Amino acid sequence: MSIITISRGSYSSGKEVAEKVAACLHYDCVSRDILLEASDRYEVDEIKLVRAIHDAPSILERRGRKKETYIAYIRSALVSRVRSDNIVYHGLAGHLLLRGIPHVLKVRIIADLERRSAMEAQREGITLEKARSAIIADDEQRRKWTQSLYGVDPWNSSLYDLVVKVDRLSIADAVDIVCDAAKREAFKTTSASQRKMEDLVTACTVKAALVEEFPEVMVSSEYGNVIIHSTSGERHAHKIRKAAKALEATVAGINNMEVHVEGGAPAGAV
Amino acid sequence: MTIIAISSDSYGMGREIGEKAAKRLGYSYLDRELLKDIAKCSGIPEGKLLKALEKTPSALGMSAKDQAIYLAHIEQSVIAEFLKDNVVCCGLAAHLYVCGVSHVLKVRVLSNPEVIGKELAPGKSLSKEAVDKLISRNENARKRWSVKAFSLDETDPSNYDMVISLNKIEMQEAVKSIAGAAGYKKFKAMSYSLKCLKDEEIAAKAKTILFPRFPDAQVRANGPTVVVFTKGVKREKQKKALMIKEMLGKIPEVNFVEVHVVNDILREAAESLR
Repeated sequence: MSIITISRGSYSSGKEVAEKVAACLHYDCVSRDILLEASDRYEVDEIKLVRAIHDAPSILERRGRKKETYIAYIRSALVSRVRSDNIVYHGLAGHLLLRGIPHVLKVRIIADLERRSAMEAQREGITLEKARSAIIADDEQRRKWTQSLYGVDPWNSSLYDLVVKVDRLSIADAVDIVCDAAKREAFKTTSASQRKMEDLVTACTVKAALVEEFPEVMVSSEYGNVIIHSTSGERHAHKIRKAAKALEATVAGINNMEVHVEGGAPAGAV
Repeated sequence: MTIIAISSDSYGMGREIGEKAAKRLGYSYLDRELLKDIAKCSGIPEGKLLKALEKTPSALGMSAKDQAIYLAHIEQSVIAEFLKDNVVCCGLAAHLYVCGVSHVLKVRVLSNPEVIGKELAPGKSLSKEAVDKLISRNENARKRWSVKAFSLDETDPSNYDMVISLNKIEMQEAVKSIAGAAGYKKFKAMSYSLKCLKDEEIAAKAKTILFPRFPDAQVRANGPTVVVFTKGVKREKQKKALMIKEMLGKIPEVNFVEVHVVNDILREAAESLR
């Protein structure tokens, strides 16, 4: 009973590992289908969501905060999907979007650049040189995306519980290692960790509902007690309170909802 | 028949895991205790060998030449131990100089930030931000050291087969994973991988002989043939090549030495201006 996020670069065999881990543990395996769910739920073009989670925001986009809106939609769809547990997610940024949940095993699958380039060259029918440049550019885009939105480097091993290099270790070996880790006590769902997950679902749903109109708000939830943190002061507070009141009736799992306009948001706020 | 090279952001943690993995697999265990033996054989004080493993050369500290000599002695002794096979090694930078040997399982273990914070600032109670800063500074220092000494980034996960974070994974579980991975077929010693290791040992021996005189030399061994690349001005090329051949001729396993002296453009330019 756990959730496994598999972070991977293109052509690093992470998809195969994720699918085999899911089959081995009889878990569901999800990836970009989350984007479809988010697209349906929030009525946004899927292509906009794909760009939001793949391309690093430009200077103009950072000002407009549209990308953050789309990411809030994706996060809300993702947490709603994984709350029922026993799932392998190998889409983008799973380890960051599910931060703070104890029963999430965060794995990164890496592979040698030459091996990845050879795979891309073969699949796309391009030269090795072009394939290598494309992979380096894609990696750089991922690095920029993560750094601009979360301030961390995706290549930093401390973001993951396990990093496995598929090279001398085969895909089957990597699957064994990940399955073995997932069975460890630390990644079993407990009532406390499930409670945290439910709170994350609530916070993400509220955030997704508010983010378009109030992009600056941060939302935290503890035992269903939701706090909306706003930095825009009293100016917008009454509008946020009004929107929050409407949400209280529609979003499940809310015990109480407050709007705070002073003081910063806590570390776990979304 | 496997070798496990463990790297860690905390030597204490790496040692504990290494000892436990060795015990579990019935392998011999190697750590910085080996420096005592190296010091006895080479006549280099143990403290200097330890410093070479920890500090980046600087104008006020250890010179790059001295570090290269000390590391070559460590490399030679560690590889000699590796040739006995079934070894777990920690804290001797083995993951950085046995990269081309296929039966070496390279693992990096990342400690819990609290543990490493206590190790880096003993007796101090630091905030989470201060610990993060300290860890980041330590990581950058290790990165600088490894790039300078072996042209490889020690903190880069692509230099390892596996990286395990002890944030949530218990130490015993990490030991179990390492022991399990060591059993995979790819890490079994084969005649070719043993030959590669033997070549590395000969190259390390050659380095210990050459570095006091030619610290910039790059050495490669292929069976009994040793290839050396070094820099020099035109007029001293032949003399240098002869000297290197004579020095390496003393190694019993070597029967052919190939020397390539590349033009030292900067030195030539400086001399022509005199």
